[in-house]
Amino acid sequence: MGRASLNLGCLMMLCAAALSACGANNASPAAAESSSSSASAPPSKPASPYLALATLPDWGGVWDVTFGPPQPGAAPPGQPKLTPAYQKQWDQYQALNKKQKGLNFVSEVASCIPPGLPQSMTEPYPIEFLFTPGRVTILIETYGVTRRIYTDGSTLPESPDPSFQGTSVGHWEGDTLVVETAGILPETSPLNGINGHSDKLHITERIALVNPDTLQITTTRTDPGVFLEPYTTTTDYKRHRDWKIMEYVCEQNNHDSLDSTGNAAFSLKHTPGG
Amino acid sequence: MKSRQWLMAALCAIIPVRWAAAHHSTAMFEWGTEKTLSGTIEKYQWTQPHTFIWIVVPDTSGGTREWGLEGMSPSWLGRRGWGLHSLNPGDKVRLVYYPLKDGRPGGFYVRVITPDGKTLEALPTRN
Repeated sequence: MGRASLNLGCLMMLCAAALSACGANNASPAAAESSSSSASAPPSKPASPYLALATLPDWGGVWDVTFGPPQPGAAPPGQPKLTPAYQKQWDQYQALNKKQKGLNFVSEVASCIPPGLPQSMTEPYPIEFLFTPGRVTILIETYGVTRRIYTDGSTLPESPDPSFQGTSVGHWEGDTLVVETAGILPETSPLNGINGHSDKLHITERIALVNPDTLQITTTRTDPGVFLEPYTTTTDYKRHRDWKIMEYVCEQNNHDSLDSTGNAAFSLKHTPGG
Repeated sequence: MKSRQWLMAALCAIIPVRWAAAHHSTAMFEWGTEKTLSGTIEKYQWTQPHTFIWIVVPDTSGGTREWGLEGMSPSWLGRRGWGLHSLNPGDKVRLVYYPLKDGRPGGFYVRVITPDGKTLEALPTRN
C-alpha cells in the first residue's frame, strides 16, 4: 500500500502539473482574443486514478498452477499441527489417500458446489488478475469464481457475512500483494484432507513474481479451531500470455454427484448439451 | 474391484465425512486402470464441466452397446489441441479409458485414436 499510495500521489502531482501546463498553452493570445467571455483556462480534467496502475507489476496473461516442485528456496509444507478432532480427520484422509494412490475423493464439488478460499486458488484451471483503482480482482476459471480484493485502504469488517471466498482486503508491499481474508463459510475446506473450519478462519496470501513468468502465492491459514499454529503452503503458477479464461458453467453437463450416503455417483443419462 | 468397492462403502459408512477434493471426484472410476474400446462415435459433447463421448461399441453377442465416457473440460482440452469438432458422429475410433467401478458401460477417457491415426491425449501426463 505504501509504495502504491506514494506512486499514486506522485503521479497525480505530475499529472496535475502537466494538465496545468497544457491549460496554459491552450490559453493562447488568439484564443483569448476570440473569446472575451472565457478568458480563463478551461477547467483541467482531474487526474485519473488509473494512472497509478502503471506502477504495479506486470501480472498480465493467465496463470496456471504448476504441480511440480516449488521454486528453489521455497520451503516444502510440513505436516499441519491440528486440534484433536481435525487431526482424526487428517489421519483418516491420509490412510484413504494411501489406499487410493493419492487421488481425490468425493466432496460437494462433485455436485457443483464451488470450493471456498483457499482451495479455490489451486484448481487445475487458470486464474487471471485485473487491476483497477483501489481493487485487485481475481477471476478463477473453475466454477467461474470472482474474488474482489479491496486495496483502497479498507479494513476487514468485524464480522463479515460468510461466503465461499470470504471478504478480502489487500495492500502492496513493494511488488508483493498481501491479501487478508475472513468470513469464509465454515463448511468449506481449508486444506485437502480437512473438511470444515470455525468462523475464525483467516487467510493471508502473499503474491509476487519469483521470476518473469512464475507467480508465487504463499498462503497462511490461521484458525484456532483447526490449526494449533498457522499453516502455510506455497503454490507456483506459470504464466500463459496466449491463454484466455473460458466460461465454466458447472451445471451445464455434470454427470457427477454425491449420493445420499456420501458416495460418488455417476450418471449415464443423456443430456441435451453440447 | 468388488473388494475395493466394498472397502470404500465400509469406510464411507464409518466415516461420514465428505472429503475435500481439488476438483470433481474421480472416486467412481478405476483410476489408472487403462482399458480399450473401439466403436463409432454417436455424439461428442463439448460441455462444461466435462466433455462427454457417447460411443456405440459392438458387443460379444453380435449386437451393440452404448458407452458414455466423461473427459476433461473444454477449457483444459481446448488449450491442448482439442476442439468442438475433434470427434464427430460416425467417426470410427479407438479409445483408452478408466472404467467405472460399478461395471456399467462408462468411464473416463484418457486418449483417443482418431480415424486418421492421430492420438489425442486427454489427461495431464502427471496422472
